[in-house]
Amino acid sequence: MSFYSPVITNASEATSNEKLHLFKYVEDPQQHKSEIFESHGGYTAWRKVLGGMSTQQVIDEVKNSGLRGRGGAGFPTGMKWGFVPKNSPKPTYLCCNADESEPGTCKDRVLMERDPHGVIEGMAIAAYAIGCHIMFIYIRGEFNHCIERMEEAAREARERGHLGENIYGSGYDLEMIVHSGGGAYICGEETALLNSLEGERGMSRIRPPIPAIEGLYASPTIVNNVESLAAVPHIINRGADWYKALGTEKSTGTKLFSLSGHVKRPGNFEVELGFSLEKLIYDPEYGGGILDDKKLKGVIPGGASTPFLTPEMINVGLDYESLTTVGSMLGSGAVMVFHEGTCIVWIIKKLIHFFRHESCGKCTPCREGTGWLENMINRIEAGQGQPGDIEKIEEVCGNILGRTICPLGDAAVMPIQSAIKNWREEWQYHIDHGKCQVETDFSFR
Amino acid sequence: MAQETNEKAAATPVTMVTLTIDGQSVTVPKGKTVLEAARSVGIDIPTFCHHPKLKSVGSCRICYVEIEKMPKLQVSCATEAMDGMVVSTNSDQVKQGRRAVIEFILLNHPLDCPTCDKGGECDLQNLTFAHGTDDSRNDFQKTRFREDDMSTTFDDKSIGPEIVLNRNRCILCYKCVRSNKDAFGEYDLGVYERGNIAQIDSAPGEQVDNPFSGNLVEICPVGALTNRDWRYKIRVWLTETTPSVDNFQSSGSNITFSKERQKNKIYRVTSRPNDDIDDGWLPDITRYGYQIVNSPDRLKKPLIKKGGTQVEVSWDEALDTIAKRLANIKDSKGSVCIGGLAAPSLDNRSLYGFSKFFRKVLHSNNVDYRSDCRMLPSSSDTICSRLAMQPFSISDLDDSDVIVVFGSDLIREHHNEYLRMRKAFNFNGARLFSITPYAVKAADIAELEVVHRPGKEEFVLQAVCQAAVEDRLVDDQTAGRFREQVGNVDLTELCRSAGISTDSVKQIARALASGKKISFVVGEIVTRSREREPIAAAICNLNKLFGLHDKGQVAILARYANSKGAQKLGVVPVPHKMLVDKMNVLWSETPSCEAHNTDAMLALLKKEEIDSLFVLGANPMMVYPDLQFAREGLERADFLVACDLFETETTQLADVVLPLCSWAEYDGDYVNLEGRNQTARAAIKPIGESRTGFDIMAALAARFEASDLFEVDAIESEISQMLAIADTPALPQEYTQVRASEDKEKDGFDIPLYLCDDPHHSGHLTEKSPSLAEFSGEAYAEISFDLANRLKLRNGESVRVESPVGKIIIPVKISEILNTDVVLLPRNFSSTPTTALMMRKRRVDMVKLSKVDD
Ligand SMILES: Cc1cc2nc3c(=O)[nH]c(=O)nc-3n(C[C@H](O)[C@H](O)[C@H](O)COP(=O)(O)O)c2cc1C
Ligand code: SF4
Ligand code: SF4
Ligand code: FES
Repeated sequence: MSFYSPVITNASEATSNEKLHLFKYVEDPQQHKSEIFESHGGYTAWRKVLGGMSTQQVIDEVKNSGLRGRGGAGFPTGMKWGFVPKNSPKPTYLCCNADESEPGTCKDRVLMERDPHGVIEGMAIAAYAIGCHIMFIYIRGEFNHCIERMEEAAREARERGHLGENIYGSGYDLEMIVHSGGGAYICGEETALLNSLEGERGMSRIRPPIPAIEGLYASPTIVNNVESLAAVPHIINRGADWYKALGTEKSTGTKLFSLSGHVKRPGNFEVELGFSLEKLIYDPEYGGGILDDKKLKGVIPGGASTPFLTPEMINVGLDYESLTTVGSMLGSGAVMVFHEGTCIVWIIKKLIHFFRHESCGKCTPCREGTGWLENMINRIEAGQGQPGDIEKIEEVCGNILGRTICPLGDAAVMPIQSAIKNWREEWQYHIDHGKCQVETDFSFR
Repeated sequence: MAQETNEKAAATPVTMVTLTIDGQSVTVPKGKTVLEAARSVGIDIPTFCHHPKLKSVGSCRICYVEIEKMPKLQVSCATEAMDGMVVSTNSDQVKQGRRAVIEFILLNHPLDCPTCDKGGECDLQNLTFAHGTDDSRNDFQKTRFREDDMSTTFDDKSIGPEIVLNRNRCILCYKCVRSNKDAFGEYDLGVYERGNIAQIDSAPGEQVDNPFSGNLVEICPVGALTNRDWRYKIRVWLTETTPSVDNFQSSGSNITFSKERQKNKIYRVTSRPNDDIDDGWLPDITRYGYQIVNSPDRLKKPLIKKGGTQVEVSWDEALDTIAKRLANIKDSKGSVCIGGLAAPSLDNRSLYGFSKFFRKVLHSNNVDYRSDCRMLPSSSDTICSRLAMQPFSISDLDDSDVIVVFGSDLIREHHNEYLRMRKAFNFNGARLFSITPYAVKAADIAELEVVHRPGKEEFVLQAVCQAAVEDRLVDDQTAGRFREQVGNVDLTELCRSAGISTDSVKQIARALASGKKISFVVGEIVTRSREREPIAAAICNLNKLFGLHDKGQVAILARYANSKGAQKLGVVPVPHKMLVDKMNVLWSETPSCEAHNTDAMLALLKKEEIDSLFVLGANPMMVYPDLQFAREGLERADFLVACDLFETETTQLADVVLPLCSWAEYDGDYVNLEGRNQTARAAIKPIGESRTGFDIMAALAARFEASDLFEVDAIESEISQMLAIADTPALPQEYTQVRASEDKEKDGFDIPLYLCDDPHHSGHLTEKSPSLAEFSGEAYAEISFDLANRLKLRNGESVRVESPVGKIIIPVKISEILNTDVVLLPRNFSSTPTTALMMRKRRVDMVKLSKVDD
């Protein structure tokens, strides 16, 4: 049986372009087998690490590479590893965050399905760097293919001596546990993930303490995204300098973008950070332009929780800093494109429904606020909007933003705020006329 | 060793931090939260989800403060106070944030205050009043949960025998689930669904019926969790409160009675938090046990047996009869022919009056408060009794790094200590060890649970000592002395006979050797054992070898509300010498005649050498661990007097029955297991014509023309002098040879039987509380899954439990905890006289079990 799912990628370019590495072999239908993976140079970084690198050397290499977390927050990976206390009497843990549930994001899934050993190798190196002997991968519960692939790969890696006891004769032991997730978006938030992994309900924990100090089973724990970890073996193999040369000065390396919505070629693309958003949408090698050659209305550049960009803003580099300059975020790299035939209220109705449903219910503003927002937005969308609703929505958003335990609350309101800011007139029209100013075109479905 | 602990304390001095809150400078120890800092100087910050005994989760967000240099509002309950912080608790931003939170909370709240039992004492009402607005901007239908009946806006969902949940009122502060899990270690309540339909509920297929469940109702800031005890009965503002002390447990939790103004009825018991004792948590027994006070079954008038039936008489007639009969026996046969048993749950004055009446008026030494122990030693100066008089502090459990529970099923015997132990584990990472003859609930958080073969307690202790000596965990000199005085024993052999592994005793030995502050607590399995003396000797050896006393506490825990008081007031036949010395001073003399304890009294009654027994609040017919023996004694009594709140197995046999007041009906003092003397105030007037134990003793004394001995002020002063005797009897200076004896095997009886208390019973009248009866249901025999399987028994099916002397048929309860062949029988169901299976001379009772085919 093959799990090979037909997703458009730029793997062919990756194969020819020496700079692109994450997707280099993902179109090879055999890549998930350890043997093939090894024939493509797999596990050489892991051997190199166990062959004589100190944990500090590994941390330094990753630090110097400038690699930042690909799970959304963009925190420098090497620096995070450095937070784990040395000589802690407790065990340390590594958890690979493979809960990928942000609407529009589907990049980790490709890596797990098609290059699972790449993920394992990255995890192993990270585990070594923080002195962990049991590492976990927490995979979104609905991702059956990924779970089976990762389980199979973990078993194979153990059989072939990449995991287990005394790996490569180095004396280092490392076991891997594949955990099927709890089926909630919030379980991707790292502290909720740890709760869920412990068998508790997936709800965020208040910080401090940060997981690196007190995480899984109250022990030092590093949580990293699949893509962040998958980049690590390449950094070890080719060196921090090579990696640093990719991307921009502050956003180094390559990044996977999941392009979706009204584009001709939706799919996952590996590009260097700083790559033009406009190019990603319009270049025939990538998005290939807007569906039906309509006009662009707006873009969410970094997953459902990031503010909208309007057409004038899309001439921007896809990197952490540039997107901040235009008031949005890189997030998880899910680029959602909407053409002119989409009602902004309808988009927001869909988004708020998701966040209301996925709010873990722990803190008051997010739990109650998202429900209220959904009610108000649904009402406007249904043509029943009342004068003052927009202002009320803005106020409620203000009472959520920055006032919650975890960033889900912020994530829920940021797209709404930007949608009102950018298309206020359309919202007002909806209330005044009881219908859409722009009738949503569902023909692409 | 003691020095080492001091050094450690000195090495980590408490660092203080100073911050500014609302312009006021505040200094607190590092690690405190901004909320705690503010409250320490009387600045109030509203809270919903914060609870001083739980870890902060920062979920409700009402406690916002503004801190300089931090752009966002911060939750004060989860923000550590730092040096130099400048905090505002009432800036415009804070007020706006707070109002927004209240608006969010009220969004879906039903505001059904008029029909809500929390009305008048609701945090949400109060905080809305103080910080909210009078208008709602929400113009949508509120989210509604309805169970079964869609026609009602009430969401009354029964989630346990007592608790009713209204999810509409719930503000999801999570205090209930958090306390249930983190403080009580229970998992019968959880959170389900997400977003604004997230809801509290009982775990699927489960009832919220753990022994601490009543706290969930008290801790709920709104009327989402109510209990049947209180709901829809009275508005809180129509009640008045009385401070009191629990009468069902030895720790003496501090409680508050709520009674209807101007009426003689108590409506509930709530906590009166005392961090030294209860941390504000009450076990259900304490919370619902008060219901016995209002029970319609209360005895209201004295009874005298006339022509075989007990008929109501006046107090005068009853007291005259008693006085006449006692005087008769005293004069004709001698005072040694009169005995008395008092309940260890009575107040100091009653117990002291009882002892004084016997010793000073009747000149009899036959008094005892231990009706539930068999084969008591005749002397009171035993190692065991000295161990029971060692100091013990509940709150010292909190920061003990090693806690050993020996011979106690804590959750059935000592609820507060059980919770403290969990607290020590959860908050301070204490290492717990449990050593018992059957698996116990408390061990779920233990580093190691040692389940030894029943009746081998001393072997385990000896093995731990031996392991320490062999593994050189104690210094050579100490080891040498131990070897010299105890001799060398074969560790493997000891462990084999006790049925435990050598590794486990070594692990315990290592923990005892390395622990900085150790609590070694001993429970009922030892106190009730025939071999309590050798076991106590083994404990003392252990204590000496590891220097436990210097690094913490070693104590046998007192079991009942005033066991400690009874002990300190000398309500035993031969009190400790220092007590007798004091009595001689106070009374100028004490009788020198022979003194008999419970066992001896029962035996002599049977032999007709004792003619009369006076029972004050005790019920030997239910609790003496050999029913046959107790019955033979009591039935032969020429003259039996029993004072109680209710008709009991003992009052049924009595010639005269006197109605006793409950502790809620008079001011009384009780000494808790730590030796702390506490006052319980009268909440209501005595029910019917009932009287206090002391009043009865004084009235009888008057009939012996000894009223002057019972003058209240003098009695009070005598009691305080007795209680003031501070000396703790010394434990043996040398190691002792431990020699315990064992039972001869009885063929065919192969399962050890242990009497226990149902966690919702205290063994003292609690059956008369409807709520508690609802929790515990019927009597049962608890056995392991494995044993039930072999007997082909399913939960609830009847099992025949047979001993050489008796047989009962009882439903079986398959335990989630037991994992060896043993049967636990709760001793407090009057319908099932479990003590009928027991033989007083046995160390461990053995029974056989068989399925009843119907
Ligand atoms: C609501 C929410 C959902 C998240 N979901 C994911 C996710 O699915 N995968 C992920 O890697 N990170 C997710 N994150 C981010 C994680 O909390 C965390 O920052 C990340 O796993 C750290 O890894 P990185 O440093 O490698 O990015 C989520 C965060 C939030 C607030
Ligand atoms: S912000 Fe939302 S998802 Fe995050 S903890 Fe609060 S309620 Fe849960
Ligand atoms: S039921 Fe009460 S205690 Fe529990 S979460 Fe709701 S409001 Fe809080
Ligand atoms: S009291 Fe601080 S967040 Fe609830």
